[in-house]
Amino acid sequence: MNEFLLNLLIFLPAFGCVGCLLAPRDSAAKSLALAISIICLIINIFLLRAYFVYLADANIAYSLQNGVMAFVTDVSWIPAVGIRYTIGMDGLSLPLLLLTSILNVVIVLASYSVKTNIKGFMGLYLLLMAGMYGVFLSLDFFLFYVFFEVSLLPMYFLIGVWGGPRKEYAAIKFFIYTLAGSVCLLIVMLGLYFLVPRVPGLSDANQITSFNMIHLASDGAVRDAFGLGGEFWSYGKAFFILLFIAFAIKVPVAPFHTWLPDAHVEAPTPISMILAGVLLKMGGYALMRITYPIFPDAAMWAWFAVSLLGVISIIYGAFCAMAQTDWKKLVAYSSVSHMGYVLLGLGVLTVTGFNGAYFQMIGHGISSAMMFYLVGVIYERAHHRDLNRFGGIWNSMPTYTAWASIGFFAGLGLPLLCGFPGEALSLLGAFQATSWITTAADWVPFAGSTSIMYILGGIAATGAILTAGYILWMFQRVYMGPAREEYTYTGDQAVKSREYAVMIPLGLLAIALGVLPSLFVFTMTNDTVHAFFKIVRADAVQQVMTAAGQ
Amino acid sequence: MTDQLISNLIVAAWLAPAAGFAIVIVLFSRMGNDQNKQNTAAWFTVAVMGFSLLCSIIAFVGYGARDPIVETWNWLPIGVGEYAPIGPMVDRLTVTLFVMVSLISLLVHLYSVGYMTGDPKKRRFMAYMQLFTFSMLGIVSANSLLHLFIFWEMVGLTSYLLIGFWYEKRAPQLACKKAFFMNRIGDAGFMLGFGILFFQCGGNILLPINAAANGGDSMLGALLAQGIDPLNPGANNWWLTLAGIGLFCGAMGKSAQFPLHTWLPDAMEGPTPVSSIVHSATMVAAGVYMTARIFPLLTPAALLFVATIGLVTLITAALIACVQTDIKRVLAYSTLSQLGYMVLGLGCGSYTFALFHLITHAFFKCSLFQCAGSVITVCHHEKELPQYGGLLKKMPWTATAFILSTLAIAGAAIPIVKFGDFSVAFGGFFSKDGIIAGAYTYSSVIGDAGFGKLYVWAPVCIAYVTAFYMTRAFVLTFLGKPRNQAIHDHAHETPWTMVVPQLVLALIAMIAGYIGIDKLILETAPQTALAAGAVTGHELHENMHTGYHFVHGWVLLFGGAWIVSMIIGLLIYRNGFTITDRIVRIPVIKQVHWLIYNKFGFDGLFDIVVILLGKLVAIIIGSFDKYIIDGLVNLAGWAGKQMAFAVGIFDDQVIDGSVRGIAEAAKGTGGMLSTTHSGNLRRYIMMMAGLSIVGLFVILASVGLIFASA
Repeated sequence: MNEFLLNLLIFLPAFGCVGCLLAPRDSAAKSLALAISIICLIINIFLLRAYFVYLADANIAYSLQNGVMAFVTDVSWIPAVGIRYTIGMDGLSLPLLLLTSILNVVIVLASYSVKTNIKGFMGLYLLLMAGMYGVFLSLDFFLFYVFFEVSLLPMYFLIGVWGGPRKEYAAIKFFIYTLAGSVCLLIVMLGLYFLVPRVPGLSDANQITSFNMIHLASDGAVRDAFGLGGEFWSYGKAFFILLFIAFAIKVPVAPFHTWLPDAHVEAPTPISMILAGVLLKMGGYALMRITYPIFPDAAMWAWFAVSLLGVISIIYGAFCAMAQTDWKKLVAYSSVSHMGYVLLGLGVLTVTGFNGAYFQMIGHGISSAMMFYLVGVIYERAHHRDLNRFGGIWNSMPTYTAWASIGFFAGLGLPLLCGFPGEALSLLGAFQATSWITTAADWVPFAGSTSIMYILGGIAATGAILTAGYILWMFQRVYMGPAREEYTYTGDQAVKSREYAVMIPLGLLAIALGVLPSLFVFTMTNDTVHAFFKIVRADAVQQVMTAAGQ
Repeated sequence: MTDQLISNLIVAAWLAPAAGFAIVIVLFSRMGNDQNKQNTAAWFTVAVMGFSLLCSIIAFVGYGARDPIVETWNWLPIGVGEYAPIGPMVDRLTVTLFVMVSLISLLVHLYSVGYMTGDPKKRRFMAYMQLFTFSMLGIVSANSLLHLFIFWEMVGLTSYLLIGFWYEKRAPQLACKKAFFMNRIGDAGFMLGFGILFFQCGGNILLPINAAANGGDSMLGALLAQGIDPLNPGANNWWLTLAGIGLFCGAMGKSAQFPLHTWLPDAMEGPTPVSSIVHSATMVAAGVYMTARIFPLLTPAALLFVATIGLVTLITAALIACVQTDIKRVLAYSTLSQLGYMVLGLGCGSYTFALFHLITHAFFKCSLFQCAGSVITVCHHEKELPQYGGLLKKMPWTATAFILSTLAIAGAAIPIVKFGDFSVAFGGFFSKDGIIAGAYTYSSVIGDAGFGKLYVWAPVCIAYVTAFYMTRAFVLTFLGKPRNQAIHDHAHETPWTMVVPQLVLALIAMIAGYIGIDKLILETAPQTALAAGAVTGHELHENMHTGYHFVHGWVLLFGGAWIVSMIIGLLIYRNGFTITDRIVRIPVIKQVHWLIYNKFGFDGLFDIVVILLGKLVAIIIGSFDKYIIDGLVNLAGWAGKQMAFAVGIFDDQVIDGSVRGIAEAAKGTGGMLSTTHSGNLRRYIMMMAGLSIVGLFVILASVGLIFASA
């Protein structure tokens, strides 16, 4: 039953796509898309419950390193090369699945304001939805690659057809940039396919296929071969870098981020929301699912570079956001800054940091989607986004501004809203790393240093100042000041209840996640995170110590 | 009373205003905007505060003598099954401050009912006040630095909302942004210190008080368990000093210490009830409170840093307060100066009296601000002292409260006369006396010679200055002849909702020395750097006896400081500015006056250094992103496109050309080139094709390499 539901998450939107294209009327397409997104949400809530039941079952020795996932479907797809259709879920995918399904519902609601070619829009959106679910569910490398691309193509058209004035440029830039990442992904996939069968002492599962990423991650022989001192250590490093670049583009990490501001500025509001809310998280998720577990030693080898890139993204993105006069571009750059915390938390290889990185993905998914929508609400009425021309919206639209303040202050990282736990944990994780770096083997960068994390953490902490700077400055320019005639919207122009139906769930979620972060995220991820760390740090550290003769 | 009950009472007192905020924002907002409905909401919030106060008092009375009660709620996971805790911690200091905060908050809520009459956003204002009280109580009930930081930021938010309450005007907009921003600068330091300590001090429970009793749970206990003594940390533990200074940076932002102090005078743009609670009585004292909590972790170097910052702040702010003409700014700089006293007290190790001063200051400064607010309301929102004068007869109750509070802040006492251990004095005398005594002990520890003396003589001199500037404000407002007849004619006494709170606060400030607050806090006093080896607070107190001998030996000087200064103030300002106008024309004094009047240029310095520099860097990085990084991307796209053309030409001319012949090839090229000018889509498709080819090459090459090396 649960396995079936998992498949349904992928195929229902895919069939819905065809349905939308064939729909007799525009309104039918809208209703179909909304119905499917709601069904997917219900499925996910059901899966949430089922997952806890599954965890509570004492007979299941649940852990990632045993290659056990919940509700796995595993059928042969292309037998000639051992490609299988393998999907399943665990604590790492569950919160993201929930986030995706919640965002899908509100974003379909937000898409009701799309004017042209609604059937096409909804159809492509449902295809995108299938791609997103597929990415978060697939356990086969090839399948993952397929879904990664499937989510790319509708996005290209959604930006390129329904976008703003420079939509072609933005769409093609987005497409090619991400495709460049996909090429790196493809190289690693093929490389593993050809190299893994030659690893001595391989478990049976991997004799058959080297495309199952859970097997790859859980097979000690594979880790040894690609790890420090192993036969393929140089490949391990190269593959790590390639995979890192593939997903860093998606995250995006400075300096691979320039597709993001253009794509966001040109994309219609709902597409900006899904882009920031879910698509960026695919990068972070893939790093956690693929890159780190398969190449844990390389991850230790690269920890400083990854963390540094994270810190650079935080500071760089914040400064760029401060320099913008286009409201949407400001929010877009804030994404670069906020996703830097994901990279920092991941790079430092501590449980705290990892939890922070993961929570930041969820928290940013809520807050950034909300921020883009808040911008969109005004843009739809004012038809411009120049920050210097706004003013007085607090007085002319008080209720909207109340929700706006929740969204933007969540973006600012205010405690008790969803932006804070992720940032705080990532930073704390950086400081926690001091403990393992001081005792690490000497091939690890900055091994033995006590102060490097203080420096990195200190610089990252100043990001909070800059964030306050650009958010407050924006808030002052847009919302404060006396009410103005031109930005007073009444009658037809007043904020509709459909628009509140988008803002309110997101705002309430921002508060709920901020007040009870453990309840809403960590109860689901805890077990998986511990399993993850058995692979990525604990085992690796032990092996490395032995290998280096310490 | 059981521990659980007391803990629950504290939580109830803490969460009640949060519920009040939610109810006012969600339910009362639907009731319509007329003044009566707004008043209903306002009185509702007063009732909520009454409930909070009641809970706090019961907890205070029931607490008696017992060990701190700590509850831990799992909040953020930091390891396998480990959590960073939040939750309430109740000890003597907590219950005392709960009573103080909820009492002041109740009185300010009551005052606001009168003060905000007629404001169309009155209900929203009351809701913000509720949110503020919730956040402030959250700080004083924090069991860990994480919990403290959450509400630390929340008071920052409410301070932002309240300073910018009249956001239609430009000045409040800038002031609220500045306040939040400067606090964030301090908070970056806080995060650094927090991060360092977090994993060095185990569970990170904020329990420095009675550390011996709670050994392992507290931060100090965790340090001692590792063999690290903050009083003598050793060279390897330099991080402890860094962490202490980092955390104190947070306090510098929140408590507006030099050089992060310029936001506080600007914050006077907010409504006066806000100034009275947020920017004098409670929030700005949160920095002092936090420093007191982490006090046992401060190394001697960090303590010297703390003391020096306090010293600089108390001197500069007091001097600036003497020349300001805006009544609220006089009080703001006075607040800065008094906070400087508290911080100096902490740095000097007189922990008890710093906190005692925090409490006495809260009452008299809150009263002073409320009096100033009353005066401003009845004087057509005129804040300038030169426009006042002779309001005594018009507002006798306000004047009474003001003079009582002025005596309290001036440290008024009857010199020489003593009944055994009992001296007749206002609360401010006892607390300031203690701080100066601590400073004396400290200066003898760090060296009597040279600048060490500054730590004791500067606060003594500033005690005189304090009495002077407060007298100045009182005389210029209430005595003399009216300087603006129109304003004077219009003035009248304010309604009871405003008069009662200010009188109650002034009366509490009067008797604060006799209700045993200092004894209560003394029970909780931790070990200090100066009292190395002293285990309990009592022994610390013994060590401070030398300081007391010093102070009491000169009792005429200190007990009498207020008389001299107040007489001077009265004589100079009796006739308004006539005397001072002449004095400031004298050449050297003129320049000095100009310098002080312009706040030693700190405001401008901050604007230039931080704001301009920040914006400049933002523009530089923004341009770098736009032209260099994005330029490189576009260059790559362009190169791909060119390569596609090259390949296309190669295909056409060389491969196809050999088939079709040269003439046809030339024609083909012509057609090809013409398409490049025919619209975007084609170009992009070409570009895409080009890049796909490049990508394909990369893939093939890589796969080839893998095979080759295999």
